[in-house]
Amino acid sequence: MELIPILSTIILVATICTFILAIGAYILYKIREGRQQRNYITKPASVQAELVTPADAQFAQRERAKDHYPDRKVQPGISRDSKIQERQPSQSRYTPEPRGYKYSEEKISKERSKVEQRLSDENKFLKYTSDGYVTPEEDRNSGAIKWR
Amino acid sequence: MKLNQLVDKAIVTISNREDEKKGENLEQKYLRRIFVCGIISLLLVLIIAYTLPYTILSFSSLLEYATIVALVIFLFILLIRYFTILVMAYLYINEYTFLEDNGFSAFVSIIVPVFNEGKIVKQSIFSLLNLDYKNYEIIIVNDGSSDDTKQIAESLVGYQQGKYQKIKISLINQPNLGKARALNAGIYYSKAEFVLCMDGDSQLAPESLRSAVRHFKDPKIGAVAGNVKVLNRNKFFTDLQALEYIEGLNMARSAQSYIRLVNIIPGPIGLFRRKAIEQAGYYSSDTYAEDADLTLKLLAKNWKIYYEPNAISYTEAPVTLQQLLKQRYRWTRGILQSIKKHKKLLINPTVNIGHTFTLWVMSYEALIWPTMNIAANAFFIFAAIFFGFSQLIFYWWAGLAILDLVTALYCIAVEKEEFRLIWYAIIYRMVFILIIDICKTMSTVEEFLGIRMTWGKLERENTSESRNFVTNTN
Repeated sequence: MELIPILSTIILVATICTFILAIGAYILYKIREGRQQRNYITKPASVQAELVTPADAQFAQRERAKDHYPDRKVQPGISRDSKIQERQPSQSRYTPEPRGYKYSEEKISKERSKVEQRLSDENKFLKYTSDGYVTPEEDRNSGAIKWR
Repeated sequence: MKLNQLVDKAIVTISNREDEKKGENLEQKYLRRIFVCGIISLLLVLIIAYTLPYTILSFSSLLEYATIVALVIFLFILLIRYFTILVMAYLYINEYTFLEDNGFSAFVSIIVPVFNEGKIVKQSIFSLLNLDYKNYEIIIVNDGSSDDTKQIAESLVGYQQGKYQKIKISLINQPNLGKARALNAGIYYSKAEFVLCMDGDSQLAPESLRSAVRHFKDPKIGAVAGNVKVLNRNKFFTDLQALEYIEGLNMARSAQSYIRLVNIIPGPIGLFRRKAIEQAGYYSSDTYAEDADLTLKLLAKNWKIYYEPNAISYTEAPVTLQQLLKQRYRWTRGILQSIKKHKKLLINPTVNIGHTFTLWVMSYEALIWPTMNIAANAFFIFAAIFFGFSQLIFYWWAGLAILDLVTALYCIAVEKEEFRLIWYAIIYRMVFILIIDICKTMSTVEEFLGIRMTWGKLERENTSESRNFVTNTN
């Protein structure tokens, strides 16, 4: 017996069965879905949500402890940028509040006072280091000729 | 991993407003549509009935010729589509192979929306903690789950040990508003310039973030689409879907990426530039395919979208036929809703020709392709039963099966996938694609008639054996 007629019959039967199966399954799916239909709820303009974040005090404590280790190894090649990136979570705390959100008053006032204190006129330049800065006395005594 | 760390809790207010069309009577609109279509069809039948006696054709020969001409056109388009996609995917892979790592590594927020994912949310977060990247945070958005998802997610909040450093995990518990609004809540809360949106049931491969972020060095790139793979394999249905993801979805995405016009950023993994999302107007919940809708909005704003094959997200595929139909029903109607939202650009190529082209391709694949496939199969069944041409269906199947086998071989070789999946290509088109196409056509009809639908939720299996990610413990 030739192969092609046999294969043709198999494929024909398979296709018909798939057709019936697909349509049957679809009807069954629609019947089941129909039972589970829910009513649409009207949308409020805004909703209350709960925000759960890690307690920053805990992290800050851990960070401080890390900084106090005298034998903290710094591998050669690690730049200041990568150190800043590693500490991103603790720093991000002082960046502006996320858009689209309003904190409840108590929480926000506490947070804001800390940020304001940190960014006050007296303190805002304290985070910069004096690395590479040459005092005017040293500069004058260096003996180098300066154009004025 | 250190669970149940000390946390801060605060009540926040989330804006829930979205632009909605007001004053539109939908029921009347759909009734009008059905009436107009009925009148047009009746007119067409009357014209044929009136003009047929003036031609040399009988009614049966007209039907025969019309079907054959339609089939030849369909076969022609099918072949052109296949080879165009193959060539473009090949060119893309060539280009991608020589792409250099530019070292770009910005801070990224990973948004994980979860709804009743208690069984698998932990595994998803473990996979995120194992990412080969330094600079990121995780924001879980619990979309009003009714199971134990909230408790599990709360236990994960804190600074958990990642691969290189402690990773901050935050949680937003909001009432059930849908996936789009859950993702928006996470994006609003995030302060990062780049956000990775994923599904709560997906797990990312370690190199995903590193390989995807580097493309943002190009300021024109607004988003990077990831590569979705099936997690729960070794079952007939899920293996077929695994092949479909590799052959059908990823190959098309590679081809589209060559011209930077990926038409759908998949829900399980998509990385976005915040500026691009803001310009596009965030996720919308007025369609059931929020990922397709956002992608079209990004393309409309002239942003380029790239596909990164190494940004892999493993996701659970439906295991039963009913779940599969549920998923595809939602996808089809969602895509049609998205196309409908952008219909003005569909007929106006002067605004953005790339976007118009993408919309036409999507319309063809959502509307014409499944209808033609069903019509072709119905024709061959009819010809075999009533006229005894049973060999026709064999040649049709054999031609398509060879095409599928070759494509599957190419895709599996490129993606270094399991070789055993190739053999599924033999029955892929005749069984799997036919089922999917029937579902697509039915969904299209329902969308056209405006029948209401619900989002639906797939049952999860908790396939922890499928992919075990090594997690750091503290």
